[in-house]
Amino acid sequence: MTAATGVSHLGASPGRGLRKAKSSIATVTIVGAFVVALIPLALIIGYVIFRGASVINADFLTGEIAYSPRSPSGGIGPAIVGTLLITGAATALAVPLGVLGGIWIHEYGAGSRLAAFVRFLADVMTGVPSIVMGLFIYTFIVLNTKQTNGFAGALALACLMLPVVIRTTEEMLRLVPDEQREASMALGSRKARTIMRVVLPAATPGIVSGALLAVARAAGETAPLLFVIGFTFTTNSSLFTGGNTALPVQIYGNAASAFEAAQDRAWGAALTLIVLVFLFTIAARIVSALFVRKQG
Amino acid sequence: MTRTSPRWRWLVAMMLVLGVFAAACGSDSDTSSTDDTSGGSGSSTELPAAEITGSGSTFQAAYNNEVIQAFKSVQPNVTVIYPPTNSGGSGKGQTDLQAELVEFAGSDGVPKEEELPLYQGGDLLYFPTVAAPITVSYNVSGVDELKLDGDTIAKIFQGQITKWNDPAIADLNRGVDLPDADIVAVHRSESSGTTANFTKFLTLAAPNTWTLGTDKTIAWTGGQAAEGNGGVTNAVKSTPNSIGYIDYSDAKAGGLSFASIKNKDGKFVKASTESASAAVAGATINPDLSYDPIFDPGADSYAITSPTYIVIYKNQTDAAKGNAMKAFLEYIYGDGQEIATTIDYAPLSSELLSKAKAQLDDIVIP
Amino acid sequence: MALDLQPPPTRPSAPRLADERPPGIVVDTAFRWLAFAAGMLVLVILGLILYSTTEQAWPAFQAEGIDFLIKNDWNPAAGSYGALSFVFGTLLISVIALLIAVPISLGIALFVTEVAPSWLRRPVITVIDLLATIPSVVFGLWGAYVFAPWVLPRYEDLANAFSGVPVLGTLFNGTPVSARSFMTAGIILAIMVIPIVTSITREVFATTPAAQKEGAMALGATRWEMIRGAVFPHARSGITSAVLIGLGRAIGETIAVVLLIGSLPNKITAELFSPGDSMASVIVSQFGEASGTHRSALIGLGVLLFIITLIVGVIARGLIARSDRKLGLAR
Repeated sequence: MTAATGVSHLGASPGRGLRKAKSSIATVTIVGAFVVALIPLALIIGYVIFRGASVINADFLTGEIAYSPRSPSGGIGPAIVGTLLITGAATALAVPLGVLGGIWIHEYGAGSRLAAFVRFLADVMTGVPSIVMGLFIYTFIVLNTKQTNGFAGALALACLMLPVVIRTTEEMLRLVPDEQREASMALGSRKARTIMRVVLPAATPGIVSGALLAVARAAGETAPLLFVIGFTFTTNSSLFTGGNTALPVQIYGNAASAFEAAQDRAWGAALTLIVLVFLFTIAARIVSALFVRKQG
Repeated sequence: MTRTSPRWRWLVAMMLVLGVFAAACGSDSDTSSTDDTSGGSGSSTELPAAEITGSGSTFQAAYNNEVIQAFKSVQPNVTVIYPPTNSGGSGKGQTDLQAELVEFAGSDGVPKEEELPLYQGGDLLYFPTVAAPITVSYNVSGVDELKLDGDTIAKIFQGQITKWNDPAIADLNRGVDLPDADIVAVHRSESSGTTANFTKFLTLAAPNTWTLGTDKTIAWTGGQAAEGNGGVTNAVKSTPNSIGYIDYSDAKAGGLSFASIKNKDGKFVKASTESASAAVAGATINPDLSYDPIFDPGADSYAITSPTYIVIYKNQTDAAKGNAMKAFLEYIYGDGQEIATTIDYAPLSSELLSKAKAQLDDIVIP
Repeated sequence: MALDLQPPPTRPSAPRLADERPPGIVVDTAFRWLAFAAGMLVLVILGLILYSTTEQAWPAFQAEGIDFLIKNDWNPAAGSYGALSFVFGTLLISVIALLIAVPISLGIALFVTEVAPSWLRRPVITVIDLLATIPSVVFGLWGAYVFAPWVLPRYEDLANAFSGVPVLGTLFNGTPVSARSFMTAGIILAIMVIPIVTSITREVFATTPAAQKEGAMALGATRWEMIRGAVFPHARSGITSAVLIGLGRAIGETIAVVLLIGSLPNKITAELFSPGDSMASVIVSQFGEASGTHRSALIGLGVLLFIITLIVGVIARGLIARSDRKLGLAR
């Protein structure tokens, strides 16, 4: 066991006062870094609450999209519905596929080069900029179907969520001890049953937590939706017919406006979006905290 | 061993999937109400449910959305959609129409000859709707009145005049206290019909000075960019000593000051619906109903008056949508022309109006 | 005597195992193929993205060739698509962001692992992760309406203070000095990148062998010396990969940047307070109305973004894998 390098001649050496001073400075700097990081967080969330809270009321949350940026009235009802619908559809597409994909990589393909390659690809996919996903769906789906609708947006978000769900599933499956699998197989269960009855339930809290985080990220995405979902003034509960809108898109559209009314709506929508995203994140925390308690 | 049953998981997943499909195939309650609540207002027959979507020019966005709102009380079953923000600029309207993603394009100019084959739906019809001044708005404290001519504006936007108290500006504005401050020139970041018309003015009014040509996208050498007329309004409003080209309606609503521009007859005319109408009245109308009021002669004409069009395919593919489109255009040429002045747009001249109404019969509806 | 016509008693059936279903092999095989299909779907989707975007971008690559990357002349109206200024802009704002974010992230990570009392750790981690959940568009909104107006006078003061000074005078300047500029985009990007860099570095620091740390303390090292001597050397490759992952995030950031960078193409300058443009941001601002070669060129920028992010990510993951192997964590 080697001692750490660079800390040899110590103890009651004459330079100790200076060294302690350096260490104290370092500590203060480190604490300072934390404070510096806190400042923008507090400022941003604080300001969003400050500007957004006065805008939010029942009319705002349910009202139709304003016909003009100058219009003093108008709300984000259709955008809330759109976000929930599009993100929900994306989740319904990405989570089952992602979980199954993760199962294949870890349970069936483990060790094979194909599985390693697919895992590598999933890792790569997590890094694809969301604008590129949007461009892909635009050229591949929108231009061919000649339609902009919520489903195209759901596809774009699903492409973003899928690799995250796959990786999370794989990580969680890895945490399940092999003994449990072996015990189940020894009792006569086939592989599929082992996975469904033994492995998956053990990994579920972690997978759910990871999926909720992916949903939170997807709900906040703007770029992939911009060119593919079209637009609507009123609530559109159909994914396939007609354009739709979403909270991030409304914020982006109103963000560059010169008119107070539109800017107010942008802040109100921003607060609503943050609350939504936080809810998902907190839910993910709770689920994974339950998980930790079970394991420990 | 854990008690969480996998059945619970599949149940949740199943409900999610079912819920999504139910929503997807479910009724769109608001977008197209098919209940025939006859007893509609007005003399026109009530059309069946239809939704027509447009995109493009931000120049006409404020007008479009005012008319869309008013039109709803005349034809409650018809939904017209034009994004009030981020409609994308004339270029986007054109590309969306080319790909048949929208039923109509808002455009401040007609498509170029060489681009016509790109329109997958065939022949086009151009319907001028309103006209309006393009203001040269600025944000200089203490300066309420400003006179500019094409030459000076060209040099400002080309970066050759960099300070507000430059002799060229001072000469036109004797007695005005101009600050010794850098000019921040704001232009459009996206492909814009407003840019095309503004630069067209510069090529006509300052042919020897303006070198950047005229098009929806310009290779600006400096200055700042903003998206949409609304974005430029915002930028000018929030940047001291800035100057930008903005449609009259947005500039007024944004509370900006704008310059009087030297027109072809040599007079300095300020932007207004009257001076815009004067310019429109003097313009020649082409057979396809495009016209060019920019830098036209006329003592009271505003030099940078921009036309704006709704472009549609001549051959409509859907009967309901085609009829809705025609009804919307009819409304624009009826009550719509009166609505124009209330939000600072100039109505069409009577000659243009009658020709446009006549062109409505050219729309082929299945 | 009557015939016994009772049927012979049947044997009681053998006790069945609970839930035994004869065609178990069908479910098993079906499940396996389902899982396999899902795995292959990732392959297919990624391949489709690569193929589709490259195919769409090809006309622009053909028209420009290598000029696409090395020429600084983006003029769609004239048919010229030299994207050098966007590559420059992306790199510039990413560098600014990392220069600001990495020291702060290291500080926070050290705070959590070495300085903070144990009851404070979880709350701090939660707070930093909260920063990570704020959507990009909200950063852009706040940046445009709160930060930008506040920072512009500061930029002007800096420009005046340093005017004439050799290097700093050029850096802290702009033509014109703008609130929406490389610097502003870089600063907001830094805030967005801090959480992820912190999170990775924190994990790396936490895996410093306790023996080395205790050994240093036993020899009389101060906390700072212990950190320098035991924690940093161990974490070197981990920190590098954290920085690379932060870089990947910064490169791809779109919406916050487009609202804050100024959207001015063809700007290659050392003046940080100038407006400019980046790859992701020009795609968003010009794509809506682009057609033909212009659109191909923008998609080409998307492909370029994809490739750069891929390379950065591969290097980062390679570093993590190598440091994991050193620790004996087989993957």
